Amino acid sequence: MDKRHILVVGSETHFGRRLAERCRNRDDIVVHGVAVEPSPYRLPGVEVHRVDIARSGAESELVEVISKHQIDTVVHLAFREVPTRDQRADHELEVGGSRCLIEACTRSGVPRLVVLSSTQVYGARFENPHHLSEDAELHGHPRAHWVDHRVQVERLLAELRERPDGPAITVLRPCWIMGPSYLDPMVRYFESEWVPTVLGSDPLLQFVHEDDVLDALEASVVESHPGVFNLVGEGVLPLSGYLGLAGKVNVRLPRWVLAATTGSPVALASDDHAEGFFDYLKYMWVASGARAREAFGPPTYTSREAWIAMVGARRFDEPRTR
Amino acid sequence: MTRRDESREGSTRALPRDAVQRLRNAANGLVGEIRTQQRRTLQPQREAESGGDWKSLFDELRTRIGTLGMTESDPQVDDFGLQADFVERLLPLLDFLFDRYWRVELRADWNLPSRGPVLLVANRAGVLPWDGMMLSHAASRLFDDNARPRFLVEDEVLRLPFAQAQFARVGGVRASTENFNDLAGQGHSVVHFPEGARGVLHSFRERYRVGSFESLDVIEAALERGMRIVPVGVVGAEEAVPRLGDARVLSRLVAREIDIPILPMTPTFPLLGPLGLLPLPSRWVITFGEPVEGGTVAEVADTLHDGVKGLVEQGLDARSSTWL
Repeated sequence: MDKRHILVVGSETHFGRRLAERCRNRDDIVVHGVAVEPSPYRLPGVEVHRVDIARSGAESELVEVISKHQIDTVVHLAFREVPTRDQRADHELEVGGSRCLIEACTRSGVPRLVVLSSTQVYGARFENPHHLSEDAELHGHPRAHWVDHRVQVERLLAELRERPDGPAITVLRPCWIMGPSYLDPMVRYFESEWVPTVLGSDPLLQFVHEDDVLDALEASVVESHPGVFNLVGEGVLPLSGYLGLAGKVNVRLPRWVLAATTGSPVALASDDHAEGFFDYLKYMWVASGARAREAFGPPTYTSREAWIAMVGARRFDEPRTR
Repeated sequence: MTRRDESREGSTRALPRDAVQRLRNAANGLVGEIRTQQRRTLQPQREAESGGDWKSLFDELRTRIGTLGMTESDPQVDDFGLQADFVERLLPLLDFLFDRYWRVELRADWNLPSRGPVLLVANRAGVLPWDGMMLSHAASRLFDDNARPRFLVEDEVLRLPFAQAQFARVGGVRASTENFNDLAGQGHSVVHFPEGARGVLHSFRERYRVGSFESLDVIEAALERGMRIVPVGVVGAEEAVPRLGDARVLSRLVAREIDIPILPMTPTFPLLGPLGLLPLPSRWVITFGEPVEGGTVAEVADTLHDGVKGLVEQGLDARSSTWL
């Protein structure tokens, strides 16, 4: 039996590494990785190529890798997990890198492309319906550059979909990811015992468990699921409900106080206006997971369980010096 | 001598208090433990991935211990933010408002089908959706299955601080076609006020004048689904929350600063502060009209508009007195 070869771009990210780990244990798939800085802790059986997709001329290197190993599926995970203060560098990596990757995909004629996006691309807006479907307009958030970059990448993908020679594209849009080991600025924000929220609003919020995201990623690599899918846990709770559930202190602050903390939450460490983050705690942006449920089966964890998994795992951490 | 006596007395007094406190703490801890033992809803219900190896065992153990004592606040929230346990606790208050405070009289209630889903189309008064809540309370009493219709709330109201979360808890949903389709798709009955912003913003002088319908989207969507539409006339809400003006100067000063689009003025608000939000004890009459089915959107909308107008007038005639 011929083995399929897949290429994980951004193989040193959380999901890149875990996806490679899962796939290398299958006998029908050979995993290749692409990273700027391959980790010294190599996974046996996974060959990681050193390519900086943000650099010009990375295309031909990618094409070379793809055609040399007869790559069947490209998984694009090369996004910053933690947005940096250097917005231009972020843009070069996330948008420029994606453009480069898309170009390499069309040039080498890869049959399938899988991209991890986010439901944040719908934007946190007052006008959002109770369940955003995958066809909803992508408003993004003008004051959150990491969201804006995803929106631009999604536009590029929409253009690619129009092209007759393009690959079959799977876009996975998870909401905020929670779980015992996943870590990004949002998790960091909810990790602390005192969580500032916007006074006067208490939106319904949903989370998805990291394992469910990984399951969906694996499924879209192993099987073929072209299309766009929201990955969300079932059920919603108001923000205060989550905080109460975990026994955290809900620090309600007026909007202008929060706006004055531009550049915060500190963990985000980007130079965006604070609204870029706090609007997501102010308005509802709940997405419907019906389509993903049909394609990948129901998620293992509900929103509440994902949240509890995150909080529960943190209880074993040693108290951090503050 | 006297000083020493005093100090000794103080210490003997302090000792039992301390002991009592410690006992109380211990009792609280025990109660918490029992509570966690009783309610095991919080553990992720997850099948073992690869049999019972030590890793999954450790994972389970970690989750179990990690979630100890985390059932203290556990709201049961549905997809639209309705908190069933909160509504249940609120029921005595709703019953009091319905039966004693506003003495709501239901007329022609045979027109309401015995079971949902139904779209109730009514006239609107006052900024806070008391009329929506009372109407949905009335319908939940009349329905066989006691299902509680959700009421659609206008943007102008929902933009008020705290409004979104509070109305969502008792069954308010932002008025939009998408949300209506979502609700109807899940089999909920819906209370709809097609007058839109005008229904909220008209002054007391214009009371009980049913304005033209601002948007027919919801009615159109209901027709497409083949939902029965029942016109309803609500009388009494106008006097309960009379709206005298817009407090233009104040709202320009305050409202824009704190992101409120409207600042309603009633006889008691803002003079009495938040207390002024309390509605007045007027007498209410809710009249149901005959269900409308089929026809084009424009026809149905016209029928509904005339229906609601007629029902409001009927209700006004039937009401013996505004307050008594």
